[in-house]
Amino acid sequence: MTRNLDFRFWILDLRKNGFAFLFFLNLLFLPLAFAAQTVDLEEQVRRIAAELRCPVCQNLSAADSPSELAQQMRGVILEQLKEGKTPEQIKAYFVSKYGEWVLLAPTPKGFSLLVWVLPFVAVGAGIIFVLFVVRRWVHKKNRLQLATVEPALIERVQREVAAGKPLQVELEAEDIQSPLLQEKARLYADLKELEFDYKAGKLSSTDYQELCRDLEAQAAAVLKELGSSAPARPVVQRSAPKTQQAATHKEAPEREKATYRGWRLAAGGVFLLLFGITLGVFLTKSLRPRLSDQDNITGDFLTGTGPGGIGTSSGMAGMEMGASLSKDIASLLAQGRSAFERQEWPAAIQAFRKILEADANHVEANSYMGLVLAQAGHVDEALAAFDRALATDPNFPIALWGKGLLLYRAKKDTAHARELFERLVGLMPAGEERKAVQKILGEMTTGADGGKKTSAETKLRPAGKTIRGTVSLGPKLNSKPPGSAVLFIIARSSGSSGPPLAVKKIEGPAFPIRYILGPEDSMIPGRALAGKVFVSARLDQDGNPTTRGAGDWVGEYGKNPVEVGTEGVDITLQRLGEP
Amino acid sequence: MRFERDPKLDTSLNMPWRRVMITLAVILPLIGLLAYGFSRDPRYINTPLIGRQAPPFTLTLFDGKKISLDDVTGKTVFLNFWASWCPPCRAEARDLEAVWQKVKDSDVVLLGVDIQDTEEDALAFLREFNITYPNGRDLSGKVAVDYGVWGIPETFFIDPQGRITYKHVGSLGSALITAKIDEARRGIVSAKEGKGTYQPIR
Repeated sequence: MTRNLDFRFWILDLRKNGFAFLFFLNLLFLPLAFAAQTVDLEEQVRRIAAELRCPVCQNLSAADSPSELAQQMRGVILEQLKEGKTPEQIKAYFVSKYGEWVLLAPTPKGFSLLVWVLPFVAVGAGIIFVLFVVRRWVHKKNRLQLATVEPALIERVQREVAAGKPLQVELEAEDIQSPLLQEKARLYADLKELEFDYKAGKLSSTDYQELCRDLEAQAAAVLKELGSSAPARPVVQRSAPKTQQAATHKEAPEREKATYRGWRLAAGGVFLLLFGITLGVFLTKSLRPRLSDQDNITGDFLTGTGPGGIGTSSGMAGMEMGASLSKDIASLLAQGRSAFERQEWPAAIQAFRKILEADANHVEANSYMGLVLAQAGHVDEALAAFDRALATDPNFPIALWGKGLLLYRAKKDTAHARELFERLVGLMPAGEERKAVQKILGEMTTGADGGKKTSAETKLRPAGKTIRGTVSLGPKLNSKPPGSAVLFIIARSSGSSGPPLAVKKIEGPAFPIRYILGPEDSMIPGRALAGKVFVSARLDQDGNPTTRGAGDWVGEYGKNPVEVGTEGVDITLQRLGEP
Repeated sequence: MRFERDPKLDTSLNMPWRRVMITLAVILPLIGLLAYGFSRDPRYINTPLIGRQAPPFTLTLFDGKKISLDDVTGKTVFLNFWASWCPPCRAEARDLEAVWQKVKDSDVVLLGVDIQDTEEDALAFLREFNITYPNGRDLSGKVAVDYGVWGIPETFFIDPQGRITYKHVGSLGSALITAKIDEARRGIVSAKEGKGTYQPIR
């Protein structure tokens, strides 16, 4: 383009201002030409990329796709163009890497040939079908007209129409099932109307004659058909005794035709039904909601693809950590956590164990498992669980906290515990919880000074600090709780969802009941209650803490959080869900 | 039944059968085509690379050194494409390192190629799983395109002669890795690539 333009100016220049202007112009066009070259290259890249499929998209070319891979592919194309490769060579390069698949227009060879040929075959077949159908229509009409060349019948039609027969036929048609008779009535009526129109001057005589001939021919054909299919009808018998002979020997094929038509209808119905069922089954089994942007709606049943990739059915057994599984893990984790917070230990253990079966190194599951085990008094198993968690993530707070406490309280290994707590303090944001850890660190130093054993013992039974109060029933709860009911009084570090610090269990309580929540109720043996806590109570009706029925009565202290040491922390129970 | 029936009627009665056959002949292949389309994963790209010479590359490792495929000719190469944001890559990371600990003193090289990732995330990933085998980033994506990578983790096993013997899309377990490394060492070319849980790249 620019070269042409250049040339035209060049001619002009020579004629007008000579070489100076030419030089000036060249200067002007030089950068433009360069720009044109880069534009040209970009256009070339685009054109090649447009023929290549983006491997990570669905039905997008590498030119249109905004994906990172498509960008990189365009980069590769540009690089190879600069190296002087032809578009064909570049396309061949991509085919050698990704296979024929990468071409948006596959080469017409082998199976891909079908893609090229099939549409034309389909169009051709369609045209042939239409031609066939049209030819049959024409044929049918011809046959109809051929059949009417019986002058006797035409005469009869004319006679009957002139005699006003149509009215009579019309009346009869009311209770006559035969479509042929109805057709006859209609044709007669049409003929009568045509005659009326002609007489009223609405039609030219040629038109009238042509239309009349047409209708008469049709009516004659109907009469003939009538004569053959319903020989027993008195009307027909009277008017056309001649056709009766023909009728008797046409009867059998006529009946066969009818049964065939029924059979065809039934077959069509069955086919449609089967098609519908198959479609329904396949679609419902193979479609699923998209779980992510990259997910497919098809999969599972037919292709064996899980969300975002090939799933368990086609993979190697025993090494999957598929997306579906990781989703399970997330929900199991939530289950375990909430069971842990409700102190439903068996449920928590079950959930965390399931996670660990799938992923033995799951940090959070291992940490929680450690807490559960520690709570049950299995110190060594708990330590092993914390170690597994810390091996995967050496800075996981729950594991650091649990292991530190266990080492300090149960193993009396202050040095290691201190190391862990110090690391934990380094990780924690400033707040109540960090202060609690720092406080324990402080305890450790004083404990180390004053001799390990005594300090540990005093820590196991720390004096004083308790929470006291009364649990009573709300006004709506006048019924006595069953004898199997168990009351839990729980102190948590934060809100209603934090991990419990201390729990008091009272079986078969009689309300109102006084309680003392002391260090002996601490969840981690030997750990004193300290700082501010949230106090709540729950009456489990069946006494089984793993079930959390709707019949449970719950209550919270009105002025949470309370400082440990407070008295008069009174709680009123209410039915779960009531304000 | 076929007494005194004229031949014209006969053909008209045979017509339906012929018509049914023609209809089926048209519809059945179409249904077959539909079923075929439904039964395959439209994303899956079968690699043409197995049995071919591995494309050469030079990779700058995270520690600044450079490594190219030529440097390791004569060794069995385990080439793994990964990214820190890919869950199946995380799933196999520990197994890969475990295998490396077992084979690092033999003539086997494990090589990780991090694609479509930031250096920070990649380094965090390597630290998280204590990965010690050589790893580098493919910044331009050229190595990935050269190997026709489309879903990660994607792993190529290359025999001492530099030929790709096996490709696996999706996370690998240590048993399969060991088996395929052994095959690669002996130059056995697998007929088909392996499939597992993968993550399409971006």
